[in-house]
Amino acid sequence: MVPRAALLIALTVAAFCVPLVASEFWVTLLMQIMIFGLLALSTDLLLGHAGLFSLCHAAFFAVSAYTVAILQVRYGFGTASAAPLGIIAGTTLAFVFASAVRTRGVYFILITLAFGYIVWGVAYRWASFTGGDNGVTSVPFPALGSLRVTNTVAYYYVVLAVVLLVAAAYRLLVASPFGLTLRGIKSSESRMRSMGYHVGRHLYAAFVLSGVIASIAGVLYVYFNRFVNPTAASFPVSVEAVLMTIVGGTGTIIGPFLGSGIILILRNWVSGFFHYYTAVLGIVFIVTVLWAPQGIMGLLARWRSGDRGEGV
Amino acid sequence: MSSAAILQAINGISLAALLFLLSSGFTLTFGLMRVVNMAYGAYYLLGGYVGYSVVRATGSFELAMLCGGLTIVVLGYFVDRFLIRPIGGNHLAQVLLTVGVAFVIGEVCLAVWGGDNLRVQTPSYLRGSVTLPGDIYYPRYRFALILFGTFAAVSLWLLYKKTQIGAVVRAGVDDREMVNATGINVDRLFVLVSALASFLAGAAGVAGGAFLTLNPGAEWDILVLALVVVIIGGLGSLEGAILGSIIVGLLDAYGRWLFPELSYFILFGPMAILLLFRATGIFGKEH
Amino acid sequence: MSGAPAIAVERLAKVFGGLRAVDDVSLSVAAGERRALIGPNGAGKTTLFHCIAGTLQATDGNVRLFGTDITRLPEYRRTGLGMGRTFQISNVCTDLTVMENLTLAMLGTDRRKWMMHKSANSLSDLRVRATRGLAQVGLDGRTDETVKFLSYGERRQLELALALGSNPKVLLLDEPCAGLSPSERQRFSALIRALPRDITLVMIEHDIDIALTLADRVTVLHRGAIILDGTPDEVKTNEQVREVYFGLV
Repeated sequence: MVPRAALLIALTVAAFCVPLVASEFWVTLLMQIMIFGLLALSTDLLLGHAGLFSLCHAAFFAVSAYTVAILQVRYGFGTASAAPLGIIAGTTLAFVFASAVRTRGVYFILITLAFGYIVWGVAYRWASFTGGDNGVTSVPFPALGSLRVTNTVAYYYVVLAVVLLVAAAYRLLVASPFGLTLRGIKSSESRMRSMGYHVGRHLYAAFVLSGVIASIAGVLYVYFNRFVNPTAASFPVSVEAVLMTIVGGTGTIIGPFLGSGIILILRNWVSGFFHYYTAVLGIVFIVTVLWAPQGIMGLLARWRSGDRGEGV
Repeated sequence: MSSAAILQAINGISLAALLFLLSSGFTLTFGLMRVVNMAYGAYYLLGGYVGYSVVRATGSFELAMLCGGLTIVVLGYFVDRFLIRPIGGNHLAQVLLTVGVAFVIGEVCLAVWGGDNLRVQTPSYLRGSVTLPGDIYYPRYRFALILFGTFAAVSLWLLYKKTQIGAVVRAGVDDREMVNATGINVDRLFVLVSALASFLAGAAGVAGGAFLTLNPGAEWDILVLALVVVIIGGLGSLEGAILGSIIVGLLDAYGRWLFPELSYFILFGPMAILLLFRATGIFGKEH
Repeated sequence: MSGAPAIAVERLAKVFGGLRAVDDVSLSVAAGERRALIGPNGAGKTTLFHCIAGTLQATDGNVRLFGTDITRLPEYRRTGLGMGRTFQISNVCTDLTVMENLTLAMLGTDRRKWMMHKSANSLSDLRVRATRGLAQVGLDGRTDETVKFLSYGERRQLELALALGSNPKVLLLDEPCAGLSPSERQRFSALIRALPRDITLVMIEHDIDIALTLADRVTVLHRGAIILDGTPDEVKTNEQVREVYFGLV
């Protein structure tokens, strides 16, 4: 689709140019947008494609971040081993939590919510290992052999490169036969069963894959923040990730990143003059659900087809 | 059993009483109206704060519970009518919307009552301790809470199982369209059940605020416990809420006492195992 | 194995609480046969059908597909062994296009359904088969249409194409003409009649006329048991069948 490709290219080029023209504030903000956009993308694989609303993805994000932080800070591991181990740790947890796909609908939502809470609770209460409320601090910039990240701008490009790579792989995944089976399951599970699909197995695989993406976001996050605490595993992070995806538009690749941009820029702007930003976020939830459930991409699609006089 | 273990059991049961007040409303609202309302934790907190202020102003704990409950009845009505009803049966939308409502309520509470830990003052006749058999001293208030919770559970159960209104509600939980077809005004029934659930949530906030603290974040702590109760007990089941509350209350108390650092595991572990075998909870039905 | 009947049901029973919906039913469908299951409402034909298809688990007895015992197998396994089915109420993936639906139908029993690195559109052999499959049911003009824009009759056609997509050896049709207009019924039954003889057909059909014209053999059920198993002519002239349908038994 021409307009969408053009939009993507324009955004990518713009992303590359940002550090050359903008202040460090914007570079930092954009990194945050990309990292949380990636987390949002991980929830969209389940939501937009398989029809499952997960509220525990901050858990994989946080476990991965904590693993990297603890390995590098406390045990002196290098990035080359800490980062992959972080992703493996998050993915392993996803293998366990994926048992939630035995349920559907509201039960799935509640169970993932509870699972997410376990990780937050452990991060918070197992203070002897996780540092409790204080978390793990002084995480160094990543370094691979002689390649070291020494400043924010350099790390910006690392984040951009990783996000682009993951997005490209994600694009292949959702266009693949596997991606199509997820959309089939979302549309009619009983039909899929009668056509020969072991629905549970496909959903399980999708859940684990989304855990991988969330874990990658977690690794990017901990090197960005240089610090991690239980908040990274908290319910607001999980639910905001889903909100970002919905605000931007589920079932698309750019939607979660757009949503992330909107939410984070809004937060930055509002918290400058209004102390109770979370209330504003709550209102965004309410407004989105009531008036724009298809998100920005959905509104754009409606506007475009409405222009041509086609139905929705 | 050692007296420490018995003490923890009573702690667990007193928490169970509180959880029952909160989760019974949540589970019946879901069973009857298919509404998942994540703002119940915030209802609890707001009710608690209102009760706190009422006690400070009038000294009456009973009035505080009444006001706390009624505040939520009013708020709950507006949320149901103008926010939840327009979005129909989409559970995902309900979750997101009511989380948003909870965020707003949470911030309003923060703005009005601040970020310090507050506690509702217990009435004078419930202060101090009772002496239980075996020379165990137990806070009188928590003991009263157990009695109150049991009374509420029994009344609700009788209302649900033994009265005509209860029969209609049960029929509605089982098959909403059928009840509608018999000419009974299901909508009015929904409003009544919803109001009762809201009242219980607000009153629970006051009751809980007297021995657990009221502070920003408490609405999510209590909500998660209530959710585990309904997951274990089964959505839509009153017996499930009773049994689930007891299980969660005891697990929480013993978990905190024996393995404080891993207490969340103790709490959620059984839930996860149960789910592997029975995804809809002990008394839940496939919807 | 080559002599085994396509479907062999032996002493099948399905009990719901106190109700014996299917009571000690045995039947045998030969390869290539067209079998109709008929009976008044509540006769148990739908329950029997679902026990054969796998949406319900039989309480007792067994079901064999070309000699293989499939009684305890879940639905998706039966499809893998060569069984296909349509649903009584149109059950297709309405958010996807016709082509996507059919691609899924063909991938269901194909290991390539697990491919994650190449686009589904790149599987050209599937596209060719899909185009042929759509032509077979008369939907060739609608390939890239989203299914929710299809008429009910067109969705029924798609249903049939989906069931055929896995190259089944046995096709179970659940009231294939339900909800169709008279002209659509004519067209649809012609479609069914045109299906090749290497596919065995078992269908439930409420419309007795259609059932009797399409079937080689007819099994009549009443209150969970078989009261007649014979040719359409035998069924037409049978007194008991007449009573069961038009009288008060």
